[in-house]
Amino acid sequence: MKKILLTGLLLGSLIGGELLAQSDYPTLSQVTQRLQKLGGNASVELKSLTKTEGGKDIYVLKVGTGAKDQKPAIAVVGGVEGYQVLSVELALQFAEKLVAEHAAALEQTTFYIFPNMSPDAYEQYHASLKYERRGNAVAVDHDRDGAAGENGYSDLNGDGLITWMRVEDPMGEWTLSKEDERVLVKADRAKGEAGKYSLYRESRDEDQDGKFAEDLKEGIAFNKSLTYKFPVFEPLAGDFAVSQKESRAMLDYLFEQWNIFAFVTFSPANNLSTPLKYSAGDAKKRVITSILEKDQAINAMVSGIYNETVSQKAFQQSNQGTDGDFFQWAYFHFARLSFSTPGYWTPEWKEKTNADANFLAWSDSLGRDAFVPWTEVKHPDFPGKKVEVGGIKPFAASNPAFDQVGGIAEEHTAFILKLAEMQPKLEIHNLKTEELGNGLTRISLDLYNNSPLPTHSEMGEKSRWLRKIRIDLDASADKLVSGDKIKLVDSLGAFEKTSLSWIVRGGGSVTVKAGAPHAGFVTQSVKL
Amino acid sequence: MKTKNLIVALALGALSLGSIDSHAQQENYFRAIGTPHKPKVEIAWNRYYSAEGLWDWMKKIAAAHPDLAKVEAIGKSVEGRDILTLTITDFSTGKDTEKPAMWIDGNIHSNEIQGGEFSLYVAWYLTEMHADNEFVKQLLKDKTFYITPTINPDARNNFFKEPNNANTPRSGMMVLDNDGDGLAGEDMMDDLDGDGHITMMIRKSPTGRFIKDPLDPRRLMAVGPNQVGDYEMLGQEGLDNDGDGQVNDDGVGYYDPNRDWGWNWQPDYIQRGALKYPFTLPENRSVMEFVMKHPNIAGAQSFHNSGGMILRGPGAEEDVNTYNREDIRIYDAIGKKGEEMIPGYRYLTVYKDLYSVFGGELDWFYGNRGIFTYSNELMVSYLYFHQQSGGRGSQDEQFKVDELLTFGDAYVNFKEFEHPQFGKVEIGGFKKTFGRAHPGFLLEQDAHRNAAFTIYHAYHTPKLSVLDVKEEDLGGGLKAITATIFNERMMPTHASQDLKYKIERPDYVSISGAKVVAGFVVEDADMRKFAEQKHSPEKIAVENVPGMGAVKVKWIVSSGSNYSISVDSAKGGKTSWKK
Repeated sequence: MKKILLTGLLLGSLIGGELLAQSDYPTLSQVTQRLQKLGGNASVELKSLTKTEGGKDIYVLKVGTGAKDQKPAIAVVGGVEGYQVLSVELALQFAEKLVAEHAAALEQTTFYIFPNMSPDAYEQYHASLKYERRGNAVAVDHDRDGAAGENGYSDLNGDGLITWMRVEDPMGEWTLSKEDERVLVKADRAKGEAGKYSLYRESRDEDQDGKFAEDLKEGIAFNKSLTYKFPVFEPLAGDFAVSQKESRAMLDYLFEQWNIFAFVTFSPANNLSTPLKYSAGDAKKRVITSILEKDQAINAMVSGIYNETVSQKAFQQSNQGTDGDFFQWAYFHFARLSFSTPGYWTPEWKEKTNADANFLAWSDSLGRDAFVPWTEVKHPDFPGKKVEVGGIKPFAASNPAFDQVGGIAEEHTAFILKLAEMQPKLEIHNLKTEELGNGLTRISLDLYNNSPLPTHSEMGEKSRWLRKIRIDLDASADKLVSGDKIKLVDSLGAFEKTSLSWIVRGGGSVTVKAGAPHAGFVTQSVKL
Repeated sequence: MKTKNLIVALALGALSLGSIDSHAQQENYFRAIGTPHKPKVEIAWNRYYSAEGLWDWMKKIAAAHPDLAKVEAIGKSVEGRDILTLTITDFSTGKDTEKPAMWIDGNIHSNEIQGGEFSLYVAWYLTEMHADNEFVKQLLKDKTFYITPTINPDARNNFFKEPNNANTPRSGMMVLDNDGDGLAGEDMMDDLDGDGHITMMIRKSPTGRFIKDPLDPRRLMAVGPNQVGDYEMLGQEGLDNDGDGQVNDDGVGYYDPNRDWGWNWQPDYIQRGALKYPFTLPENRSVMEFVMKHPNIAGAQSFHNSGGMILRGPGAEEDVNTYNREDIRIYDAIGKKGEEMIPGYRYLTVYKDLYSVFGGELDWFYGNRGIFTYSNELMVSYLYFHQQSGGRGSQDEQFKVDELLTFGDAYVNFKEFEHPQFGKVEIGGFKKTFGRAHPGFLLEQDAHRNAAFTIYHAYHTPKLSVLDVKEEDLGGGLKAITATIFNERMMPTHASQDLKYKIERPDYVSISGAKVVAGFVVEDADMRKFAEQKHSPEKIAVENVPGMGAVKVKWIVSSGSNYSISVDSAKGGKTSWKK
């Protein structure tokens, strides 16, 4: 396995010149080259947070100008699932476009870009044996029988791809789809329909336990191992949440970046074409499992903007979060506004209801070779039975052809920049100074959040990991007759103000400073 | 002069057994039942030790008993101190990792200090009693103890060496922003009178609602609704250091090391005290990594204070179904025995009798590792006057204790102080080492009783043996061999939580020296029901050996008369049988 991986890497780096970079998703070394190029820009800090078990860097780009940590920030995350190679390219192109074409946005906003959280898994796209991989390079006993990774996939037909195998079996649960003979569907036994096939991932029963590909030669999946609804003991999740170097390194870093107000994640989950639904019951439980009511309204508003900006329409999109995933973590446990989109959907095509049949019909119409025809193989674990290998090629359904990526990246960059324009914005209005006589002055003003977003989401107000709005008046204690030297405000709603006043003794001037890292700061000098 | 000599003698005694001085001294000692006589390491059990003090004793125990104890650092604390663990077993009878083991730790909450001494007592008692006591001898042949007296050494030292009250610092020494103003630890507690104890501030006031008790001026009494008082309470001894109008509002922490564990972990807004993710703290991470590497740990004990409780999980109602009936029977059997062994202590369930906790240590040990675990809340006011007063006792009782038993040693009398923000105040109150911590004269007895409880717990980790091996001639050169694997203790090799999630591998029963044709787990010997294992039948995987129960395995073999049978269980240890 290691050898094959190594060969894959070598080939990748040998052939991986300019030509390939333009026609296919980049190899890890090409990604690194592009990141390093970006890192040469004055507004970009490139940092490796850690190396994975597979020896791959986990990079973050911090893009901004001036007082970066004092400006509200958006984090853009790719490679949350290793098989979704598109997501890495989208994060990367966003960074490139931001720096090259939209540097003006950095005046107001700082960006954190995590291009690839699953480099160990991502690599499988370019390996000689290709399959949709989620786990990193750690050895894990997924089926919990005492031995790690002892039954992964096997390339039975030698085509370098892991697809499916079907075994002719009158006791099997699967039969041919009426929409497309290449596709298998579950026999509708409730309607008296009998099955024809058993269906497995292309594999052997290497550990002779009667199961196939149940103990994969891959480790923990980043997008299944975070703390929100952590699926303890499930395959690819592990024994406890945030157990991996890359997840810990990323979280440790994020918990130090106080200015992030929103996340945009490219992952299979989607709350952008359709917002999350609010459930009063789940939102009121001690362990909250529904988006909160006010935050649902924000989600709906942002979703509207997404749908205006992105031309593709979601089709057969049902994933609004899975257990242990990243996008839900960013909201439910990190208390930031969190948005996710796959960035790409197979379009609805010729009224096929089955997703695979729809995909194949569409793919055929483009003349794309996305299917491995069912071909009989000899299988040692099924002596005397007809076993055929075939199915939709790995990566084909979740990633578009590379020539489509440019347009997708363009639209998603526009969306992220629109989100940045909405960020919380503190302003001071109605500043008044009144002489009360005998050297006393009353200062009054309104602190206004000139934004369609609140400074703190409803969830954000609950979290200790977002700072409160802090208002400081820099007058010494003996000069301050009334009013707070330091005042903390939990939140300012969208287009909401709070009124403040102080009585100060003496002349000269004082300064009012108000804000929080994720909401930005405003200062005002006041002449007494 | 006399005390100086004693200290020298003690030190010599601890350093070298051959010392003439100590021998001369010990001739005048007479053996008391139940206590190690002429121990190689003499430890005074009526005082407290800093982290370094505990480690010093641990190293001395390991040096004095090289065949029974070894000491190792399993990780580092936030401030870089070692997390030091003693391994106690009879090394001459097998590796520590091949015997069922008991994990013991203390002091996860830094102010809950006596867990350190109580854990140390277990190590001391087992090593010093080993030579003279058959039960302990057998116990250390069968079992291993992993003992970590403090898993929070930084803040343990802070409790002793820096100004604190009985409740601080519950967390470790990491400093976070508690008031949300963007600064961390900018308004710590202030020891205004310089006595090392953070007590209370009161102030004379014409509108006060309290008076000093004319019979005992240490005690502040509320006046009646129709009466005028002359004192007001100002709260904790301290200053408003950051000018935000609050006293002592951003100190050490705050976080709770016992909300940092990876079972049903929840973030701070749901579970106050949680950090970023499970095992954010290096201290807890080192324990987790040690436990993961030692699947032989079958029982665990964590020492807290106070209130006199033997606690089991679940910590949260959401986890009620995790603890199922078969396992609760075992928890109950051991826990109720504990109530008899430790007078004044009650056996309780955290979520329903105490408070709700997500991400607690005991839930991780059980939920994630299938380890039967208790958490004892040490010290109960029952120990003062042998009267039930419901756990932590009342202030009236504390004044009485300080009058009759400790003669004023527990209290800082009110003294005037010129406060920069409040003007003239008086500062006084109970010392940090009173209330939650045992007074010296109660320490040894309660340590022994709690140690006895954990020993009872450890005794009931599984003990496996192969018995009743039977042969039956099947003709045609074949014979059947049936073996019974018996567990003569209460705990199963796999808790039902373990079975539900396949946490630990199965137990393996293997035969060697015979040619195996087929292998089976016997489901019902009388009705001749067998479950065949087709793959590697010479190594039968048994999913569990129940407590005080047995499983039978059977092989059909075609040759072999000098065979042997071995059992290999992660939590049940190894054993074998030879024909």
